[in-house]
Amino acid sequence: MAPIKIDHLTFQYDQQPPTLTDLTLTIPAGQLSLLVGPSGCGKSTLLKLMAGLYPTFGGQLLHGHVDVATDQQIGFMFQDPDQQFTLDTVRHELIFSLENLQVAPDEIDRRVQQALRFCHIEPLADRQFSTLSGGEKQKCALAIMIAMDSHIFLLDEPFASVDPQSRKQLLDQLAVLRDQYHKTIIITDHDLSGYDTLVDQIYQFNPQRQVRQLATEQRHTLLASYHQQAHVPVALPGATDHEVIHLQSLTLARGTRSLLTAADFSLYAHKLTLITGHNGIGKSTLFTALVRMFAYQGTITLDGTDIQAIRKKKYWQQIALVFQESAHQFIDITVAEELALSKQHRLTDYFSDQKIDQALTQLGLDGMDERVVYSLSEGQQKKLQILTMLIISPAILLLDEPLKGLDRQSINQVFQLLHESCQAQHQTAIIISHQLTDLATWVDYHVVFDQHHLQYAEVL
Amino acid sequence: MNPSLKLLTVLLASLEISFTYNTAANLLIVVTASIYLISHRIRWRALMWLLVVPLIPAVGLFTTIYFFGAHQLATAVALFTRMYAYVFAGAAFTLTTSPLVLAHSLEQNCHLPSKFAYGTLAAFNMLPKIKTTILTIKNAAAMRGVTLSWWSPRLYFKAILVAITWSENLAQAMISHGFVEGQPRSTYSVVRVTASDIGWTIGLLVLLQAPIVWAGLH
Repeated sequence: MAPIKIDHLTFQYDQQPPTLTDLTLTIPAGQLSLLVGPSGCGKSTLLKLMAGLYPTFGGQLLHGHVDVATDQQIGFMFQDPDQQFTLDTVRHELIFSLENLQVAPDEIDRRVQQALRFCHIEPLADRQFSTLSGGEKQKCALAIMIAMDSHIFLLDEPFASVDPQSRKQLLDQLAVLRDQYHKTIIITDHDLSGYDTLVDQIYQFNPQRQVRQLATEQRHTLLASYHQQAHVPVALPGATDHEVIHLQSLTLARGTRSLLTAADFSLYAHKLTLITGHNGIGKSTLFTALVRMFAYQGTITLDGTDIQAIRKKKYWQQIALVFQESAHQFIDITVAEELALSKQHRLTDYFSDQKIDQALTQLGLDGMDERVVYSLSEGQQKKLQILTMLIISPAILLLDEPLKGLDRQSINQVFQLLHESCQAQHQTAIIISHQLTDLATWVDYHVVFDQHHLQYAEVL
Repeated sequence: MNPSLKLLTVLLASLEISFTYNTAANLLIVVTASIYLISHRIRWRALMWLLVVPLIPAVGLFTTIYFFGAHQLATAVALFTRMYAYVFAGAAFTLTTSPLVLAHSLEQNCHLPSKFAYGTLAAFNMLPKIKTTILTIKNAAAMRGVTLSWWSPRLYFKAILVAITWSENLAQAMISHGFVEGQPRSTYSVVRVTASDIGWTIGLLVLLQAPIVWAGLH
């Protein structure tokens, strides 16, 4: 199989400085390569150029070209597991993909079965996509790539909404595809844990958007820095802690499926609490229940008052959810307008103009005032969203996967800001995250959501 | 019955009654549609709903025409029953046809470009998500202190923006799953047009002419 050759490539999106400048790179066939670098550095762009999605779907190729052998089928896994299926069920989508390749009907049956078996998702075959978790959807996406007999597997931050267990299963399968079927696999990822024995090459993008291939030594150093400091001890709530949210005989269910039963559970004030748990277990649902967007049975109290007794508008000034989809929380058009809007509605003056400027620089969002928020990269949108919510400064902040799409440096800067704000204003933060690297430094308490129960854990 | 022919039958029948004031023809459609729905084991509750939901607009039409309009009972009754004919004909189609099979049929039997067939299908599968997204946008704004009412243009601007992003992502996803516009595809499940499908279509449409012709003769 031929390697992928990128030759003096310059690519830009409309009216922005080039995203990739004079990039020359050869990615070997039959290996697993990782593209790493800060959010917005052009990793996804490069991947989509290889897949031939760009410049068809945007941007301009100013110079150079990408050489991928034309007889090689390319499979692509998108970051957002929700937006990659045309049809309603896994089987229908598999059949649709194979019909596109003009595979004969009896061959379709065989390939569908084979792909489902390889990914261990036979029980999911006839389920609706809307009932699957992020990890399950990505397994289906992989099955489609396999059924299509792809030679090149391009995965664009595929694990952003996937729990660690599913992530490991997916990575193991990718290793099998490389080792036994000699597939070429290229992944962009921020979290490099678990890649040690898998990865053949790492290409690192720096903030100036230059790319270099890491030497073996550098690769090991980089990967080693992500080794899970497994089981870091975390404190348990003490007697002096002041309870802020209390769940009393709370039951959450989606349809007939029970998600959570909490007989008696407290979350504590002025603390940073992390909630972890498998995909689809109901963490986000718990958050939506806490902000009264999801019907529940039982009682939730805030400082001793039943939250149903508080007027919604007033309630949401005390407790606010930072939604998983950053774009949903934007209201205006440009970065400057979004910041101005938050200043207009802020509850405290903690975030002064000077402090906001400082935060923008810290988050690498300075000089972007006139940028349309929707044109920012996923990671930049996330950082801006978190900042706009911090400026408002409600007493309790719920953050649903705030680290999705963020590089390591950004994660620490976001936590730095959150931590300072919480300390200075005695705020409470409750966070859901799959991505755990470096989190032990910042969180006070760790709650594990497992088998329909919430429990404080002594380790992270 | 073949979905495309079923759609054609329903459309032609609805079109025809919209030009005539014929209570018997309307009732014929309601009865035929009911028999069809019952033969497809539709739940009784759903059938009750079909009777209750059009009641308000139908009564509205009736009173407008009978008490405030021409005072002609026959016209008012025809309009009242026509409302039910539309609803039952529509239900006989939508409640018994899967969107996927319809798309296959339109693609294979009517040679609709597959881009439209699957594009529409993808959009259809997205509808429930669009609904929840609008609610999320509304609540997400509320938590920033901004109230977006149900009639706020900002809310729909955002919703359209989300839909545009999604449609672009979906288009990329379709292409990455091997879809190429205008390129032939193989057919896994063949949707046939049988002689009995054509027979039923013609038979039902001819049957509908009976009350209309009869009314014309008298």
